[in-house]
Amino acid sequence: MDVNKILDAKGLACPMPIVKTKKAINELETGQILEVHATDKGAKSDLTAWAKSGGHELLKDTEENDVLKFWIKKG
Amino acid sequence: MVNTKVAIIAANGGLFDAYKVFNIASAAAASDAEVGIFFTFEGLNLIHKEAHKNLPLPEGKEHFQEGFTKANVPSIEELVEIAQEMDVKLIACQMTMDVMSLEKDAFVEGIEVGGAATFIEYAKDADISLTF
Repeated sequence: MDVNKILDAKGLACPMPIVKTKKAINELETGQILEVHATDKGAKSDLTAWAKSGGHELLKDTEENDVLKFWIKKG
Repeated sequence: MVNTKVAIIAANGGLFDAYKVFNIASAAAASDAEVGIFFTFEGLNLIHKEAHKNLPLPEGKEHFQEGFTKANVPSIEELVEIAQEMDVKLIACQMTMDVMSLEKDAFVEGIEVGGAATFIEYAKDADISLTF
């Protein structure tokens, strides 16, 4: 996947992964892709909801060794 | 969440109260909602220059301090800054300030001061109203 920016939000607790993701996506253009890494277990449902409410598209998410990864296309 | 308006009343002044208020407010603001918080009575502690840096845990729950550190939860100072960066409107209750003899300069920069009618006017077309 052609990723434009990677955000490391590992170790951060709610609501920081969402706040940092919001700031990061502000720096992208529509259609560009942000990759987010998080360890907050709530991030899975939160980032899914956040992407929906902001009109962004959650393309894919994975979980490996307690690290959640998300790929979000800016809407 | 664009065109979504969130109106919050913060009426309590402990550390738990502060997290409830600022976590919801910053999550809403990060989701593109317009957010306003009306701080009244003990809620004023949450934006008081000094008090918000050292808010009390509920009696008997002091042991949770360790949990906050371990979970790497941001400080209330940081959350206030984040909320302000995301244009969350902070309104201090004039009447409570008068009762407690507090001036505007006792609070963090950038707040507004208003009465109950100010909040009602703001909240009248809110999509989400919350009280903490």
